[in-house]
Amino acid sequence: MSAKRALRVALVGRPNTGKSSLFNRLTGLNQKVGNYPGVTMEKHVGLAKIGAGALAEVIDLPGVYSLHPSSDDERVVMQALTTNSDAERSDVVVGLADGTNLKTCLFVFTQVLDLGFPAVLAVTMVDEMERRGAQLDIPALESALGVRVVPVNSRTGLGFDQLQEAILGAKPSTQGPFFQPAGAHLPWLQKKQECIGAGLTYRAWLDGLSDPDFAESVRASGRSPERARADEAIQRYRWVNQWLRKVYHYDPVRDRRAAARFDRIVVHPVWGSVFLFGVLFVLFQALFYGASVPMDAIDGGIANLASWLHGVLPSGFLNHFITSGLLPGIAGVLIFLPQIALLFFSIALLEETGYMARVVFIMDRFMRPFGLSGKSVVPLVSGTACAIPAVMSTRNMESARERWLAIAVTPLMTCSARLPVYALIIGLVVPNTPWLGISLQGLTLFGLYALGFAAALVGSALLNRMVPRQKATHFLMEMPPYRMPIARNVATAVWTRSRSFVVEAGKIIVSISIVLWFLANSGPKGLPDFSASYEPMPIEESYLGSIGRGIQPVLAPLGYDWKISVAIASSFVAREVFVGTMATLYSVDGDDIAPVRARMADEINPDTGKPYFNLAVGVSLLVFYAFALQCMSTLAVVVRETRSWRFAILQFTAYAAVAYAAAWIAFRLISYLTL
Amino acid sequence: MNLSQLGVGQKALILQAPVELPVKLFEMGCLPGEEVELVFAAPFRDPLCFRVQGTLVSMRRELAELIPITEPHVG
Repeated sequence: MSAKRALRVALVGRPNTGKSSLFNRLTGLNQKVGNYPGVTMEKHVGLAKIGAGALAEVIDLPGVYSLHPSSDDERVVMQALTTNSDAERSDVVVGLADGTNLKTCLFVFTQVLDLGFPAVLAVTMVDEMERRGAQLDIPALESALGVRVVPVNSRTGLGFDQLQEAILGAKPSTQGPFFQPAGAHLPWLQKKQECIGAGLTYRAWLDGLSDPDFAESVRASGRSPERARADEAIQRYRWVNQWLRKVYHYDPVRDRRAAARFDRIVVHPVWGSVFLFGVLFVLFQALFYGASVPMDAIDGGIANLASWLHGVLPSGFLNHFITSGLLPGIAGVLIFLPQIALLFFSIALLEETGYMARVVFIMDRFMRPFGLSGKSVVPLVSGTACAIPAVMSTRNMESARERWLAIAVTPLMTCSARLPVYALIIGLVVPNTPWLGISLQGLTLFGLYALGFAAALVGSALLNRMVPRQKATHFLMEMPPYRMPIARNVATAVWTRSRSFVVEAGKIIVSISIVLWFLANSGPKGLPDFSASYEPMPIEESYLGSIGRGIQPVLAPLGYDWKISVAIASSFVAREVFVGTMATLYSVDGDDIAPVRARMADEINPDTGKPYFNLAVGVSLLVFYAFALQCMSTLAVVVRETRSWRFAILQFTAYAAVAYAAAWIAFRLISYLTL
Repeated sequence: MNLSQLGVGQKALILQAPVELPVKLFEMGCLPGEEVELVFAAPFRDPLCFRVQGTLVSMRRELAELIPITEPHVG
């Protein structure tokens, strides 16, 4: 290890072994979420003070069952552990093992030891272990593994001093190797060792079995790479079982009964569905209504700040820019925070307790025809409140392909920002008379929700067929035991998510809203008036107005006049801006829906002499807003989550094309029927 | 018999498995000779959740159909 950089410690273990809890305990809030190169997977790195003042960099690697890569998670871990670059290489590996389930955890740990890393084994869940009466002979396990073994409790911090001391004094195992490739494998291993310059046989074995160039050489030894890996698994488990019989005594039958009984209710065809429906209902209510109080507070607070600044600052261009351009842009970022925080709070609770895995399990069969798995239920349901937290919630999907599908279709779900537009138009064109005792207006709104949901599922099914699958991935998932959530983990999840939204998506949202403000406040006739007697420019004279008029011929087949076209152009910021722009264009004060609607109802179509907003124009607009991705914040989050501008631009274009086609069909059809 | 035919609460031993199975299955602990129990099943009996080597592993039925087992025994 060079003296220049901090000690680098990697955490390696199976999923559900309390790895994140240990990481959060070690690093506190000193952590950063980055990305691994080439994959859309989060990289958690944190700084921890280890021992007397020395700072160490701790990397929380994804949970894996084996170092052999079967998925992106495993590829990331193998890359991190086999890299030759000194800047990337870890100095010490802390392996994690769940004390209530040591057997399968030791499998991957012996692989780490065979790579020659200085290592420590942290045994987690010791409180649960004691409660269940499990007994572990630690000195005997230490001598079997040849490294230090430290029991820790991430809830209370018990054992962390010993763990830090063990990390500082970590040595490679004095035992092992725990698996020795032999026989016909030796010729190709030797060749691989020469290629990568590795002294250790296991390093060459690990590299060689996933290297397509070596597949032929491996086959020449009489085994396929897969068969060789299976042989390794059998040998390692044999070693682990043989040792555990001597050092570990645990009879889990009693605890299993209670968990299994609970599970039979949770995944029961009837009771399980009722329970899931209840959980999703509470989640939806929290996002929709629980978040509305802080959202109104943020909205009102910034509006007050803006009007106060408007009075205090010298009048003129700068005043106008700050109070009606910059501050509303910042408000447009902060307004989403309550929903994001609430959604991630709920998701963290569901994951920590172990229920999320059951949701995936129950819903898997239903989502499969659409190319999705049970995991996509959460983004789709959250999408009915707001697509922004919903798109962010796809992060816990392991399959990159499925995650991209979910991100692609989630904004089709009817979000709350569509409601003001729907309310305005439905009130305008759908008669408020009951039909067979059902409100026609309510029925239309329900129809729009159904349309969004159907579009999301159909869209996903179509994309699933269009995008070829590279390799069959098997749905193979460990079901975690039920556990009490750890407050620190929930808080960290909410904090890191919220911060990453404000910092990364916020940058894009504020910049776009400033650009749009300039487009709305300068026009072909001149720049904004920079003098003290600044007057906002009428929107029809601005560039935004020109853009609206410019696209009007394109939108004319959908039945839209230049005013609607301007409102559509300006509502790229967010859909609800449509209502405000219509109010401005019809010179109605305030953003309230009723007066705008009354004014719009009086508008006469000069060609026909009848009311302009007839059923055909109204439905065409409703359908357009159901599909069009008129929300720059969603696009900003998509860019952030997919790390791809191309994805966001393609998505925007595809949504626009579908919206245009559907609105055109609706307009033509209804015009024809109502002629 | 194969793993998808097990009833809830029934146990059996895994027989020598064919090579086409994902290796991850072995690495998660589903090895020939180990005891498996069907703990619970999702609606329409797909996916299925088994206990092997002390952990719960869930898989789709199409995969479970590929894993041969002995005649089930209870208890």
